[in-house]
Amino acid sequence: MADDICQPSPVVGGELPDPLAWFGSMIDHCYDFAEGARAEGRPIVGIMCEFTPREIILAAGAVPVCLCGGSAATIPAAEQLLPANLCPLIKSTFGYQVTGKNPFLNWADLVVAETTCDGKKKMFELLGESKPMYVLELPQKAEESDAFEHWVLELRKFQQFLANRYEVDITDQRLGGAIELMNRERRLRRQLADLMVAEPPPITGRQLLEFKSIISGIEADLAQYERALALYRPADGRTAPEQDSTRLTHHASRITQPPPAVRVLLTGVPLVHGAERVLELIEGCGAVVVCMENCTGLKPILEDVDLKAEPDPIRAIGKKYYHLPCSVMTPNPRRFETLRGLAAKFRPQCVIELVWQACLTYDVESWKVRKLVEEELELPYLKITTDYSPSDSARITGRVEALLELVRAKHSA
Amino acid sequence: MICAGIDAGSRATKVLLFDPEQARILGSGLADQGVDQHRLAAELFERTCCDAQLDRAAVGPIVATGYGRNAVRFADTTITEITCHAQGVHHLAPDARTIIEIGGQDSKFIVLENGGRVRDFAMNDRCAAGSGRFLEVVAARLGVDLSTLGELSRHSRQAALISSMCVVFAETEIIGLLAEGVAPADISAGVQNAIALRVAALAGRMVTQPVCFTGGVALQSGMVRALETALSCAVVVPSLPQYTGALGAAILASRQSRAQSGL
Repeated sequence: MADDICQPSPVVGGELPDPLAWFGSMIDHCYDFAEGARAEGRPIVGIMCEFTPREIILAAGAVPVCLCGGSAATIPAAEQLLPANLCPLIKSTFGYQVTGKNPFLNWADLVVAETTCDGKKKMFELLGESKPMYVLELPQKAEESDAFEHWVLELRKFQQFLANRYEVDITDQRLGGAIELMNRERRLRRQLADLMVAEPPPITGRQLLEFKSIISGIEADLAQYERALALYRPADGRTAPEQDSTRLTHHASRITQPPPAVRVLLTGVPLVHGAERVLELIEGCGAVVVCMENCTGLKPILEDVDLKAEPDPIRAIGKKYYHLPCSVMTPNPRRFETLRGLAAKFRPQCVIELVWQACLTYDVESWKVRKLVEEELELPYLKITTDYSPSDSARITGRVEALLELVRAKHSA
Repeated sequence: MICAGIDAGSRATKVLLFDPEQARILGSGLADQGVDQHRLAAELFERTCCDAQLDRAAVGPIVATGYGRNAVRFADTTITEITCHAQGVHHLAPDARTIIEIGGQDSKFIVLENGGRVRDFAMNDRCAAGSGRFLEVVAARLGVDLSTLGELSRHSRQAALISSMCVVFAETEIIGLLAEGVAPADISAGVQNAIALRVAALAGRMVTQPVCFTGGVALQSGMVRALETALSCAVVVPSLPQYTGALGAAILASRQSRAQSGL
C-alpha cells in the first residue's frame, strides 16, 4: 500500500512556516523524520547517486537517504585512506564514514550504490569494509538496448535482495504507490525550476537550490513545494505578485540581486548540500542562475516513471533512471540534447560548467560541452574547476566577473 | 578630463594617467605589492601624479583592476583585468586578436574580437608554474637577479627539461639539475620553455594571430622566443607591456564617465 510508504507529516498544527525557511532547516526535518521512521522499524537505506531508484527502496518499506558529502571538513579524514587527487564529493562522502559524523550514514542499515565513475566504484569497496553495501552494475553504453536489458535485470535482482533482507513482498502495487509519490515530487520540483523561465525570475538560483530534501517523499516537504509554487508563481503569467517578491527579499536579502542580472545556465557536477559555494559566488557577481543542468538541479527530475508507456513497474523505473545523462555514459548524447532544450527554454546569456577537481568524466566531456555552447548555442562559456576548499573563491569571482563583463559588452554592442 | 587606471596586481601595482581627448599617456608608475594594498596604491598614485606634474584634483574618474582591485578604495569603480587588458592592448595594437599575459601570479589567455571586445578567455591560477613567480624562485635558486635571468638564457646550449607542474617541486628539480652539473643558462632556458608550454596548453588550439604578449614576464629576454616556439607563431610585445591593464582601466574610466554624463 502506498500509504504505509508515505509517513504522516511531522509538521505541527497551525501556521505553516515559509517554504524557504522550511527548507533552510531541511537536515533537521530529515533527522526527525528518519528518527521517527526508525522508531517504527523502517530501515534507513543510504543512496549515493541519482541512478539508484528510490521507488524500489520506498516500496520495500525503507527510507532512502542521499548520503553525498558536501563538507570540506571530512576530507582530511578521508585522505587517510583515499588519494588526495580524487573528487571532493567522493572524499567528503567517505570522510563521513571515517569520522562517523553523518547520523544518516551511521543509521543506514544498507548503502546502495552503482558502478558510475571509477573513483566512486572503488571507494564503495572501501566503504564496504565497514558498512553493508549493495552495488548495482550500471551499463554505460546508454544507447544500446541490451545494455538497458542488463540494467533492468540488475534492478530485479535488487528488488529481490531488498525483499529478502526486509522480509517484504515488493508487489507491483507497492511499486506503483512509490512511483506515484516520486512522480509527484519530481513534478513539483520541476515546476519550481520552471519558475526561472520568467525574466526576471521570482527567486534566485541559490533559493531554488534550497527546495530539495535528502529524504524523498516526505509529505510535509511536498506540501511546502506546493506552497512555494503558489507563492512564487506569477499570478498573470508574466511577473510575480509584488508582495511575493518583497517577502522573498526579506528572507534572503544576502543573495537577492539588483536587476538586470545576467542569466546563467549552470551545468556539470552536482552541488550537494553544503557545497553551494560556487553558485553563491556566481550570483554574488550579479548573475542569476536560471537553470541547473546537474544532479542537484533538473537532470534527475526531467523525466517521470511512465507506467502508461511501460506497464511493468521495474522496466518503467529502469527506463527513467537509465535515461539520466551523466558523463559516465559513453557516448552521452542525451546530455547535449538536454542542454539544447534547456537553453531554448531558459534563455541563458552564458553557460558556466562546474567540474569538481579530478572528476575525470565531466572534465573530459567539458570539451564537447564548450563546443556545443560556443558553436551551436553561440553563447559564452566558462569552465570552473575547483573543490570544496574556499581558497580560490577570489579567483573564481574574478573569472565570473570577467565573463559577466563579456556578456554585458556583447549585449550592449 | 584626465583618467587614471590602477592595476593592483599580485606582485606589483601599476598606475597609469591617460588623457582621452588626445589619446595620450601622461604618466605611469610601478611599485611592489605589499600588505597594505590601499595605502601602497594611494602613495603610488600621488607619486605618479607628482612625476607627471599633475595636480591630483585634475584627475577625474579612476578605475581599479587586478587581484587587489577591491582594496583600492579611492577608485570610482572596479573592472576585471581581463576586460582591462583587452582594452589596453587594443589601444596599443588595434589589430591584436590574442593576448598572452603572464603576470606575477597567473597567466591569462584572451581572445579578442574586432573592436577589442573579449570573445573568450582562460586563466591559469591554480598553480604558479606558468607565472612570473616561477622566474623569481628560479632566479633566487640560481643566485642571479630577476632582471638578468632572461639574459642568462641566451647563453644556453641545450635547454634543460623542467617537467614539474608545481613551482615547489620545480625548485627541487632545479637543485637536482645543478647537482648534476647542468649550466645555469640551460636551466634558465628550460624554465622559460616550461612556462611557455604551460601557457600554450592554456591557449589550446584557439590561437589567432597577431598575438600580443604582455605582463611583467614579457620583459624577460628570451621569453618571446620561447613562446613563439611553443605556439608556433609570431609573438609581439607592445610598448609598456606591464601597463596594459592599467591603461585599459584608464580608458574604460573615461568611457564610463562619458556614458554617465550622457555625452
